[in-house]
Amino acid sequence: MFDWTSFVHSLPLLGQALLVTLKASLAGNLFGFLIAIPVTALRLSSRPLARTLGASYIFVFRGVPLLVQLLVIYYLLPTTGLPNLSPMTAAVLALSLCSGAYIAEILRGGFLAIPPGQIEAARLLGIGAATTLVRIELPQAVRLTLPSLVNELVLLIKASALISVVGLADLSRVAQNLAASDYLFFQHYLVLALAYCLINLPLTFSGRLLERHLARSQYRAAE
Amino acid sequence: MSQSPTTPQARFPAIRLDQVGKRFGDHQVLEGIDLEVAHSEVVCLIGPSGSGKSTLLRCMAFLEHYDQGEIYIEGALIGWEIDDQGRRRRASNRRLRQSRSNLGMVFQQFNLWPHMTALGNVSEALKRVKGLSRLDAERRGRQALERVGLLDKADAHPARLSGGQQQRVAIARALAMEPKIMLFDEPTSALDPELVGEVLAVMKRLASEGMTMVVVTHEMGFAARMADTLVFLDHGRIIARGAPAQVFGEEAPPRVRQFLQDYLERNALLIDANTEAPGAMPSSISAGDGAAAATKGMF
Ligand SMILES: Nc1ncnc2c1ncn2[C@@H]1O[C@H](COP(=O)(O)OP(=O)(O)O)[C@@H](O)[C@H]1O
Ligand SMILES: [Mg+2]
Repeated sequence: MFDWTSFVHSLPLLGQALLVTLKASLAGNLFGFLIAIPVTALRLSSRPLARTLGASYIFVFRGVPLLVQLLVIYYLLPTTGLPNLSPMTAAVLALSLCSGAYIAEILRGGFLAIPPGQIEAARLLGIGAATTLVRIELPQAVRLTLPSLVNELVLLIKASALISVVGLADLSRVAQNLAASDYLFFQHYLVLALAYCLINLPLTFSGRLLERHLARSQYRAAE
Repeated sequence: MSQSPTTPQARFPAIRLDQVGKRFGDHQVLEGIDLEVAHSEVVCLIGPSGSGKSTLLRCMAFLEHYDQGEIYIEGALIGWEIDDQGRRRRASNRRLRQSRSNLGMVFQQFNLWPHMTALGNVSEALKRVKGLSRLDAERRGRQALERVGLLDKADAHPARLSGGQQQRVAIARALAMEPKIMLFDEPTSALDPELVGEVLAVMKRLASEGMTMVVVTHEMGFAARMADTLVFLDHGRIIARGAPAQVFGEEAPPRVRQFLQDYLERNALLIDANTEAPGAMPSSISAGDGAAAATKGMF
């Protein structure tokens, strides 16, 4: 039933594909987080224009399917005179922009849970808005929303299966290629599914641990 | 208290309010407030809940934007700039920060940053605003914690501290920036009765060191004993002001007498229940001895 020779031979390829998947989704998550911070700040600004801007970003990048974003960035942007992007750059860009919108929505809840008095206290001490954001609001917002943030990373890793459309040999693409070459569809897709589970299981698990740790620790924002 | 030898003679009062008014929608919350606070003076704002005490204090720090009149902090208009045509415009952030650098504020809910230790809370602004190195900021932070008797809690997070300790850290955080004026908004109202005393003791020491203070409080005992001037607010207007003996005295307006009567009755109930009530109050508000009686059992 299970062809071990084929499996062993596929391992080097799968290993490389795993790296591509991890690289794209981890970079996408990191840059997405960095994008989400100013987007959240805009979203929660007291200025209507800023709020509209933040909301529009979230609307667009959550509303348009990731697949379409990938295609637009990789195939369409160069036709408008913008420079060609390498497949990996295009993939990371699309994943970042997209997860930035989702992470911004997650962080928003965290920011809203911070008592406004803490920010007034910072203002009165002369601490500027940007410093308050980074030093006082963000650390608490991240702690408050950690489970959702880890969940978002898991979702992004799974969504990254789409990056093969720009020609990247990620896990999904390599498994497809392997299956096409020796027709062992069931086996290769089984391995593919297990590979995703093996990446995401420890993530989910450590997310839970972290959550429980924070709930117990003195850092917790409640009180 | 009224004349501390350490305070240089200043050309202007620490705080001056001129016909200050504030509305929320069509609710006029403050109206025609005139008030001067001299350097080293302790002013206590008292009055029924909803009378505008917090709003007035927050206007002084421009946390609320007063929309009539003027508020001067150390001689400078806070929050607004008045142009040639007499129209008001928001002052620049830089100017607002400058005005606020004279102020330290302590809130009912402490508002400590829970992810930082006590020392982290106290030294954060020293690093980010005064630009001190981590080492210097922490040295100054420890000094501030020492002033409120919490040096040994420097490494504790707020959640590990009692309410009274948290409020003292909040006071230290404000003091570390060396403000000329301290504003307190019901600093003991969120505390269990047995923790009120330690916070009032810190405030009392501050006052005796010559700090200019404006204190919104429901601790009538503290107000009677510590205030140079009592200001009684009702429906957004000042209806009585003066030395405690005077405001608590016989000539007090009926509204003030009613307020004190209610306060006494509430505390009498407390005393009945506990036999010994912290922050207990005048057993009598009859002329003259009101203030003296008010101090009974305070410290
Ligand atoms: N942000 C706000 N928006 C609308 N109304 C407010 C706001 N803050 C305070 N008020 C109203 O202003 C009045 C005075 O409130 P406040 O200054 O908190 O009184 P106090 O501190 O004396 O209890 C109250 O009627 C309150 O409902
Ligand atoms: Mg109040």
